[in-house]
Amino acid sequence: MRSVFSFSEKPYRSLLIIIAIVFILLAGKLVELQIIEGDYYRELSSRNHIRSVVLPAPRGIIRDRNGVVLADNLPAFTVSLVSVEFDSVNTELLGSLLRMDPDELGRRLEAADLNPYRSTQISSGLRVEEVGRIADNLYRLGGVSVDVLPRRRYPLGISFCHMVGYVGLADSTRIFEGELSGRTGLERIFNNRLMGEHGVIREVVDAHGRIVERFQGGDVEPDPGEDIELTVDSRIQLAADSLIIATGHPGAAVVINYRTGEILALSSVPGYDTNLFIGGISSESWKGIINDPGKPLLNRAWATAYPPGSTFKIVSAAWLLESGIVDENTMPDPCYGTFHFAGSDFRCWGTHGRLNITGALTQSCDTYFYRTSMLGDMDEMAEFAHGYGMGAPVTGILPGEVSGALPTREMLNDLFGQGGWGLGNLMIASIGQGEVLATPLQIAVTAALIASGGELPPLTVLKNEPFSDATWETNTSEETYRIVREGMRLAVESNRGTLHRSMGSLPVQVFGKSGTAENGPNEDHAWVNGYIEEPIPVAFAVIIENGGHGGAVAGPVAAGIIMKILEISHEAE
Amino acid sequence: MRQNDRVDWLFVVPLFLLLIIGLLNVYSASGSQKNLFVHQLFFMLAGVVIFMGASVFPLRFLEESAPFLYGVSFVLLLLTIFFGAGPAGRWLQIGPLNIQASEIAKLTVIVLSARWLPALRKESVAGGVPLYLLAVGVLTILTFLEPDLGTAAAIVMIILGMIYWAGFGFGWIFLFLSPLSAAVSSIKFTSWMIFTAVLCWVLYRSDSKAGRWVFFLVMTSIIAAVTPSAWGLLRPYQQARLTTFLNPEADPYGAGWNVIQSKVAIGSGGVTGQGFLNGSQNELAFLPARHTDFVFSVWAEEWGFIGSLFLLILYSILAWRILDGARRSLNQFNSMLGAGTAIFIIIHVVVNVGMTLGMMPVTGLPLPLITYGGSHLITEMLLLGFSYNVIRNWRSY
Repeated sequence: MRSVFSFSEKPYRSLLIIIAIVFILLAGKLVELQIIEGDYYRELSSRNHIRSVVLPAPRGIIRDRNGVVLADNLPAFTVSLVSVEFDSVNTELLGSLLRMDPDELGRRLEAADLNPYRSTQISSGLRVEEVGRIADNLYRLGGVSVDVLPRRRYPLGISFCHMVGYVGLADSTRIFEGELSGRTGLERIFNNRLMGEHGVIREVVDAHGRIVERFQGGDVEPDPGEDIELTVDSRIQLAADSLIIATGHPGAAVVINYRTGEILALSSVPGYDTNLFIGGISSESWKGIINDPGKPLLNRAWATAYPPGSTFKIVSAAWLLESGIVDENTMPDPCYGTFHFAGSDFRCWGTHGRLNITGALTQSCDTYFYRTSMLGDMDEMAEFAHGYGMGAPVTGILPGEVSGALPTREMLNDLFGQGGWGLGNLMIASIGQGEVLATPLQIAVTAALIASGGELPPLTVLKNEPFSDATWETNTSEETYRIVREGMRLAVESNRGTLHRSMGSLPVQVFGKSGTAENGPNEDHAWVNGYIEEPIPVAFAVIIENGGHGGAVAGPVAAGIIMKILEISHEAE
Repeated sequence: MRQNDRVDWLFVVPLFLLLIIGLLNVYSASGSQKNLFVHQLFFMLAGVVIFMGASVFPLRFLEESAPFLYGVSFVLLLLTIFFGAGPAGRWLQIGPLNIQASEIAKLTVIVLSARWLPALRKESVAGGVPLYLLAVGVLTILTFLEPDLGTAAAIVMIILGMIYWAGFGFGWIFLFLSPLSAAVSSIKFTSWMIFTAVLCWVLYRSDSKAGRWVFFLVMTSIIAAVTPSAWGLLRPYQQARLTTFLNPEADPYGAGWNVIQSKVAIGSGGVTGQGFLNGSQNELAFLPARHTDFVFSVWAEEWGFIGSLFLLILYSILAWRILDGARRSLNQFNSMLGAGTAIFIIIHVVVNVGMTLGMMPVTGLPLPLITYGGSHLITEMLLLGFSYNVIRNWRSY
């Protein structure tokens, strides 16, 4: 039976059979829909109302490392309306039940008209008592519905305003009106994880807008958002906040576990209450925040760069040692309080005499750094400090993180023009002044790198989840770490040390460096950075804006933070 | 020649009825936009002229022009990817014309396969199978990138049907399908292992030479290795589009809603329908895309089960006549061309009607001869004209 060619009867027959089968399947489905269920669908069609109701997914909860809630959801209600089902003679009744301004209600109804078959939110964030009045009258209000829409709550809103941030109404409503999305902080950068997937059910609605039944099929359960656990210890952060507040100045404090890379505290004072922003902030509250002289919107921990002052000396000392300009025994000419060079006076804050590098760190002698750094190269120092996390964002993910600055030839040529600057800029940079700028987070990282011998893991605020796999390039030898650590130890333990008075009597060994950063005509910024090895390996940095002397003002704040850490670890035992 | 001039009424009458139904339905579905009806009337008349031209066109020239057609499709698809306009970026605007390059791609794949597959079946041309897979694969991927996943899937199904028609066994079909299967199986290591095991078995059973073993194993391994990273290169919305195609319930807010409304419209048609211009779902604009994707729902609502069944029967008769002509044809190319057209019609009907009934994923595949639009109607009339040519000239060698 084969034809002349390779074509045979077989494909012809099988194709006809396949066609028959699929057409029988289609016809079978038509029988089901049009004959068996025809009346049902005709009924639906005559009423012509199936509406989608979104079941919002609960947003993920944010907790600190000990399970303390930083952001969760409070039950709240919304009143919504489907425009085609709403009779406008009921507008007045609805307004009086909601105690709503008629103009505002009118605007909401116009918005609802734009999407007449979808549910549009009229009022939100209602409590049970408020929503009760509406619920009792729903039978008179066709097209109006009451739904549960959880409201975001921030129990520690003021302390975590910059880190956790807050949510607001989404700019573009993807699925339903009233949808929330993270506006700032971690709420914004992890919005997709926290958000979850909304569910949907469909309801058959009669001509009066009353729900007749659930439409069968196609339901989607809401998928709750992912909970997020932070590395932050809210006890440390709250303690840091109140210590800074007690100084009467704005400020910031950063605490990092330098063995794990976990950030334990990112304190920025003053803060603002993020709960005010939910559902839109009132103009009074907004004015209050904007006009606060402490500038609470300013995030001081990682989004503001300051001159680091002498806290930078731990980095410049490591650079001097590594570049071979000095060794442990090098003693340049003595410090007489002022160093004359090229027709300028480079001042030191005291008169220190002849010192080696540990002595210079202990007493924070500026002259030592002037006399030695002038033998080095500006670009090499910038390159070296860059390896310590300066001049670039250290996490790359915290919102609004700034880079700070390190002077290079290129930068100074841009700023002052070729020949418009000189060796003085390098000398000033070596004591953390001039063109050097850094965030408190960066200054804490420099101490963490000295403490860990360059082995600091990538930073993170998410438990068990590093932000990146970037590593640090400190290019520093063990010998250099040892010398710098010795200088930091003596800064606390030696009775000549700048931190001796504020931190020398703590029950644990502290390695530290103070900084008193000149700040134009304003009062100096008070700085301290350093680390402890016991009971937990943490590095820290504290800045008190315009606080004055680092050892006297920032030192006690750091000492208080260390005491809190000791207290916590005693409790844990 | 006299025998060839006899009119095949079983082909012509259903075709004529389908065109009339298409016009009536577009008139009903277009509501107040009566200019759509005028456009459709114009497209239909142009289609009839093209049909008559194609039914007398020397098919040997068509066979010879396959490489030229391929080049044209390739360029048009590329242009569409970069300069595509329209709602989904699938139209190419040349002067006053909106061309859908994916329609030309379907035509090209049919002509190319008709010319190539019988040769591959008869003698083993060195490198022939890989070259064929590469040629049709490129067109499929370009169509897919347009993005037009529905048409790309239809092209794959048409190719499979034509491979089967050419007399390749199921082992061969598996081999032809292996690039796609390799890509899909790479989701999991175990599924890829199973796929490779089956591939080896098929190769062993078909007494393959070493070269074929190497080609298929290397090609599928490369595809399986590259697919996950290629997937990673897609933007999230493209991934979402793909997963929605595979699982339409995943998008209950958009496509799922349309299907529910479509089912309500079809179901409310009942046995006898609500009557012409009386479909309430249609007239109240409750049906989405009612003159394009969901045109069958309009018909089913207004003409009921009887009308729906009648429409399906018309398509079946048309496909049967073409397949019968293809079976009798003494020319391999003509036979393949007819079979490809019949498969084309069947796949479009099943996917489109299946979609309106909620049995198939939501894609933009048109209902042949009925859906509003010029590009697909012209393509279909061209292919049907060639098929009628095949039916009448089955003796030509």
